[in-house]
Amino acid sequence: MRVKLLTRRSPVRASLFAVGSLATLLAISAGLAANAQQQISKRYPGGKTVRVELRNISGAIVVEAWNKNEIRLSATLESKNAHVEPKQINDCLLVDVMGDNRGRGDIGDINFKLQVPANSSVDVETRRGNIDVANIRSGLVRAYVSSEGDITLTNISATHVVAQNIIGDIFFDGEFSSGGTYEFKSTKGNITIRIPGDSKFRLVAASPTKQIKLNDFWNNGFKTQDGRKYVGDVGDGRSSVSVTNFSGSITFLRK
Amino acid sequence: MNCEQCQELIHDLIDGRISQRDEFTLNTHLQECLGCDSVRQDLTSIVAFCQTHRGEYQAPPNEQALWLRIRNVIEAENGSRVAAQTQSARPSFVSRWLNHTWQLSLPQLMASAAAIVLLVSLTTVVGLRRWGNEGTPVASSAQFEVSTDVKDRVFQRTQTINYWNQRVEMNRARWSPAMRETFDRNMRVIDEAVANSLNELNRNPHDEVSEQMLNESLNDKLALLKEFSDL
Repeated sequence: MRVKLLTRRSPVRASLFAVGSLATLLAISAGLAANAQQQISKRYPGGKTVRVELRNISGAIVVEAWNKNEIRLSATLESKNAHVEPKQINDCLLVDVMGDNRGRGDIGDINFKLQVPANSSVDVETRRGNIDVANIRSGLVRAYVSSEGDITLTNISATHVVAQNIIGDIFFDGEFSSGGTYEFKSTKGNITIRIPGDSKFRLVAASPTKQIKLNDFWNNGFKTQDGRKYVGDVGDGRSSVSVTNFSGSITFLRK
Repeated sequence: MNCEQCQELIHDLIDGRISQRDEFTLNTHLQECLGCDSVRQDLTSIVAFCQTHRGEYQAPPNEQALWLRIRNVIEAENGSRVAAQTQSARPSFVSRWLNHTWQLSLPQLMASAAAIVLLVSLTTVVGLRRWGNEGTPVASSAQFEVSTDVKDRVFQRTQTINYWNQRVEMNRARWSPAMRETFDRNMRVIDEAVANSLNELNRNPHDEVSEQMLNESLNDKLALLKEFSDL
């Protein structure tokens, strides 16, 4: 009797199970489609010296040098509504996420990775997200985060360097060129500058919290205003370095 | 870069003829100058509108007659302006004096130079005695000027900040919750920096570091508002 009942119920159960599975599969695939990340990867020809400008809204930016005379742009787009349309004008590659997505609403994060010739000028900014730039030897490296995000500039040799954020750490590892200008600014974060011991520069460093550590670069020629601001020359002072931090430390390290 | 140079370069920027160096300098100026940035936005909108609607307009009937009328109006205005300038072209005393050609002999020239040297020396001595005796009042008035100057600057900046704040408030409903949190968090950090600088300036109105920090934090606040008002 019991066996008979089970036999009767099994087709019903089987169909219920099938319908349930189908519904679950549909729901999962719909969810996956909604959250699907887009990947793009494009290559652009370029001479040995190019300029890259990237204006992101939200997301990380990684720029690194490679041994090819071309630019490779890879991006991960969180939202399917996001749109990226790089433009190449002569030797300049321009990516303007803000302009490309005007009127599209929230487009989530877009994470970029750019591989460029080592002599490229790099000018990148994002409203929110980390910026990493490595191995660039050129005229300009500018990394600007409008709000929060860490900035890491590694093995940089450029005539003009700008790194600025509101919340987040800034790390510079590289060298100061003679006649160059270097500007580092954060409102809440630690700024660390790692340079060769024989660097020559004129420094203006200000931190109201008095957390300025010049270490090996300190000399008696520095003028200070009760530890909150230091002005002075290291060596012949041929390059100009400005470091401002509102509520974090400023540290100079020797390579 | 000043505003005049900037506005000349804006045309090149819109036409796509600007050099990379100029563009960088221009962008730096535009981030700091609301007036120029507004001009840039207006021009960009006009050019974009014209490009989008190119060919959608029909020429007015009897186009030649219209141009003729416009030219007549311009020529009539120019004629009346020239007449007005001719009427007001009588030389004033100052312009006659400035346009006068002075011819002096060597003794006259030397006597004039000696008179000027004597006058300058007398003025300097009198000025030094006067300010030397009134040292304390000058210092206190300078102190008053510094603090007023800072207050004025803060007030002016606050007006601009309020404008951009309104723009942000209009748009922030469209942002994602994460973006709203980021903005608020960063704004709190900047407000804290502004408040700390103002407190320090209240204690010591001559504090150069606090003044620098106040200026920079107000600039940062403005920059943050402008960046996020676009979202």
